[in-house]
Amino acid sequence: MSDKRFNRRNFLKIMGAAGVATGAGVMMPKEVLLARAEKSGKGRQRYEVKPGELDDYYGFWSGGHSGEIRIIGVPSMREIKRIPVFNWDVGTGWGITNESKKLLRGRNFGDTHHVHGSYKNGTYDGKWLFVNDKLNNRVARIRIDYMEVDAIVDVPNIQGAHGLFPQRYPKTEWVVLNSEFQTPVPNDASNKKAFLNPQEYYGMHTIIDAERMSIVCQVMVDENCDLAATDYKGKYSMCTSYNIEKGVTISEMLASDYDYLIIFHWGRIRDALRKGKYKRVNGVKVIDGRKGHSDITLRIPVPKNPHGVNISPDGRYAVCCGKVSPTVTVVDLEKVDLAFEGKIKPEDCIVAQPYIGLGPLHTTFDGRGNAITSVFIDSTNVKWNIAKAIEAEKKGPEEKKKNPHIVDVLDIHYQVGHIMATMAETKEADGKWLISLNKVSKDRFLNAGPFKVENDQLVDISGEKLRLVHDSPAYIEPHDCIMVRRDIIEPKVKHRHEMFEHPLAVTKNSVERKGNKVIIRMTANAPVFGLQEVRVKKGDKVTLIVTNHDEIIDLTNGVAISNYNINFVIAPFQTKSVTFTADKPGVFWIYCTNFCHALHLEMRMRLIVEA
Amino acid sequence: MKRILLLILFLCLSYPVSGYGQWKFFEHRYKYELKDVLKADRFVKKDGYWEGYRDGKLVGYVFLSKDWTAKLVGYSGKHMETLVGMDTKGVLTGVKLIFHSEPIVLIGLKEKNYLKFLEQYPGKSIRKDLSVGKEISMDAITGATVTAVVQNAIILGSARKVAALTGMIEYVEGPERKVSREYSRLTWKELLDMGALKKITVTYKDLGIEGRGVYIDLYFGVITPPSIGRNILGDRVYAETMKSLKKGESAIVVFSRGEGSFKGAGFARGGVFDRFNISQEDRVYVFRDMDYRFLTEIKAEGAPEIKEGGVFIVRARDFKEARPFKFNLVIPYRVGGKKEFKAFSAEYRVPDRFLHSAK
Repeated sequence: MSDKRFNRRNFLKIMGAAGVATGAGVMMPKEVLLARAEKSGKGRQRYEVKPGELDDYYGFWSGGHSGEIRIIGVPSMREIKRIPVFNWDVGTGWGITNESKKLLRGRNFGDTHHVHGSYKNGTYDGKWLFVNDKLNNRVARIRIDYMEVDAIVDVPNIQGAHGLFPQRYPKTEWVVLNSEFQTPVPNDASNKKAFLNPQEYYGMHTIIDAERMSIVCQVMVDENCDLAATDYKGKYSMCTSYNIEKGVTISEMLASDYDYLIIFHWGRIRDALRKGKYKRVNGVKVIDGRKGHSDITLRIPVPKNPHGVNISPDGRYAVCCGKVSPTVTVVDLEKVDLAFEGKIKPEDCIVAQPYIGLGPLHTTFDGRGNAITSVFIDSTNVKWNIAKAIEAEKKGPEEKKKNPHIVDVLDIHYQVGHIMATMAETKEADGKWLISLNKVSKDRFLNAGPFKVENDQLVDISGEKLRLVHDSPAYIEPHDCIMVRRDIIEPKVKHRHEMFEHPLAVTKNSVERKGNKVIIRMTANAPVFGLQEVRVKKGDKVTLIVTNHDEIIDLTNGVAISNYNINFVIAPFQTKSVTFTADKPGVFWIYCTNFCHALHLEMRMRLIVEA
Repeated sequence: MKRILLLILFLCLSYPVSGYGQWKFFEHRYKYELKDVLKADRFVKKDGYWEGYRDGKLVGYVFLSKDWTAKLVGYSGKHMETLVGMDTKGVLTGVKLIFHSEPIVLIGLKEKNYLKFLEQYPGKSIRKDLSVGKEISMDAITGATVTAVVQNAIILGSARKVAALTGMIEYVEGPERKVSREYSRLTWKELLDMGALKKITVTYKDLGIEGRGVYIDLYFGVITPPSIGRNILGDRVYAETMKSLKKGESAIVVFSRGEGSFKGAGFARGGVFDRFNISQEDRVYVFRDMDYRFLTEIKAEGAPEIKEGGVFIVRARDFKEARPFKFNLVIPYRVGGKKEFKAFSAEYRVPDRFLHSAK
């Protein structure tokens, strides 16, 4: 594969060929519908959420290159809200207000892939969400009580900030972030040799302090660091790596027949930090985790170009998907310590490598010993039993060929990426619903032009068989999601802000001038702004601070300044501010944009800019 | 030094701005005299009310609502200050609005409509059950249900408190009883049979409108006894609700089946539930959205699906959950194009088995 010209067709051919070689002669069960026509119960859950009813799960979806997070009710699949994160949101004013600008620091685009919740004892604590920005290499934290971003940390020395996972036990103190693209370290063109030589590009496993939202350290490796996971004992984090070759072209990245699941030893990372075994690069403590240089990392060889790594809810197994191989690799985490101590070889931690289908990408769990893996090229979700796969591996190749582990295969529409079951990334995986985040919707919705949305399919996994029950279109472009039981989130979410949490909360209307700086402090109380008019002079630097004094639930006000390209909303008891230069003389109506009252249209005032 | 002083002066330059924007537009304040509501030639100030004398003889009382029911607020979030006159028998002699900011203009009403609504009070006895939709007509301010319900509560609440204070009406209050913390598992049928839940049924026939059978079946009850609350709400919602209660607060559950709605939409922007309230002795309690938690299902074994539901916190400390209270429901409906209202009520008392015995 030295051909420089490479296209999608060839790529699929390669992947297909690998699949046929291993999967030859395998009969795949394709039955979709259940024979029993039960109205409810196992395998027949009610998925209709009637008017006035509420969903059982909060779904948190990443937004891909829209840069946002979405809250989706499951099983109704109703989109409840969008949380702007790394994007400009002209509706809420995210990226426009001073508060959001301070967090975004001038970068209003992002690419969110993996959203995960904070944990306590292996399950969600309902405090925070974390999400990566692959585009600008950041991590944002969302506080669940307000469902708003409250911190963003920039991560230096990396590109392709991809896999992200919070610590699961005993609670989320650390969040790990993988860099999928290897780069020179530091990447500032200062070292000409490294700059030009891909062999001196490195991947990073970054550890972030969840509370402070600052970087604890980075573990530097030769390989790229793709998807991420943490164990259930607070001992390890891990990444899959598909470019151990340090390739910069697809053919180079596909050169090796194997790649790695890399496991990071947290105890040894703490030791290195304590003993000062790091160097500082761009202010960050960088620990050398390269093969042969470090005892922090363990490399378990897996078939070439693996994709997702997911941990079974009992905490025992890491399941690493093959992507280019039609298999998944099951790693027994109880053996990892022995491998770190050198008592067994890294590959001895592998307890099964069952056949799944062409292009397995991600695995999720039903909490009853079964795994469900998304299979991209076949366009299927494959349910398989972990214990049976391990047993067949022990019995040998003949038994393996019978594929006794496979329970059911569901056709999905089409080309699934991530897959996630309810509560599946916790020890409380409940095996109720599954979302298949399909990359291609093709013919599943009304044709809305050449650029088509994705198709998130809802699957009932409560029974033996997988049952497809609903298609929902998804705009650009969720990668992954989690679904959290309502009882965990609901008690944490507030109806109104704590007014004085914002240091500038306004209780008295005033206009204050300091030189050419004007500060307007104003209340909003539907249908009235606290001021009727404000006079400034052309060229004044104006800061408008507004506090919503309505405490009634859902009474949000908007504040927009005509022709000044400014708009933001303020929820009950919330304060936001915006600073702008009054560069256009004239009369400009400031009006409420968020329907608030029968006299909403009358809720307006004048900004008078004198020449 | 001089330059610094100048600079400070310069920095402090700011100009005063007029109050709170256009709020004044919604505010209506009226002048009043005590004799506006009671024919008397002499008034003697007492603590919280005036005695009115005519020819040296006590003929009644005059009081300001904000001294008695200031916590009752209308659609505007503000109390409607009312001057009330009452004779020594408990018959209202006059009612005068002295301040309000109810935005009745929004529903096409004029100030005079509001004043007309108040004209029906003089001559009515507070010993009677004066509820909106029954003895108190909403005709003058049709549509302003929150305003009407709260205004009614303000007048009656204030008057009954003064009546009690002046010895006009008496309560024989039993000894204070406490809710038992014991829990036993109870089914839907058991809860109904023992009166832990009370029911108000309104049929289409009751309203005189087209339709067959039941328009709304409404259930309500006090939920603080675990044997009621936990069985109805389930462990989680019960625990969360109880945890959210401050000392002295109580909680009731209200839910319904059928086409009719007890929640209505008044709370969506006004924050006040205008179709129901509860009353106990001289006090009326209305609920706001801050007192409300959405409820979609009843957990008790054998319970039916519900259409609407909510847990409502009684914030006022003077509500005694172990004593009887009344649930008042106002149902709006349409006859042709005309909006009508009808009121229904039912008495509730926590079953004895959930109370500690009186000492």
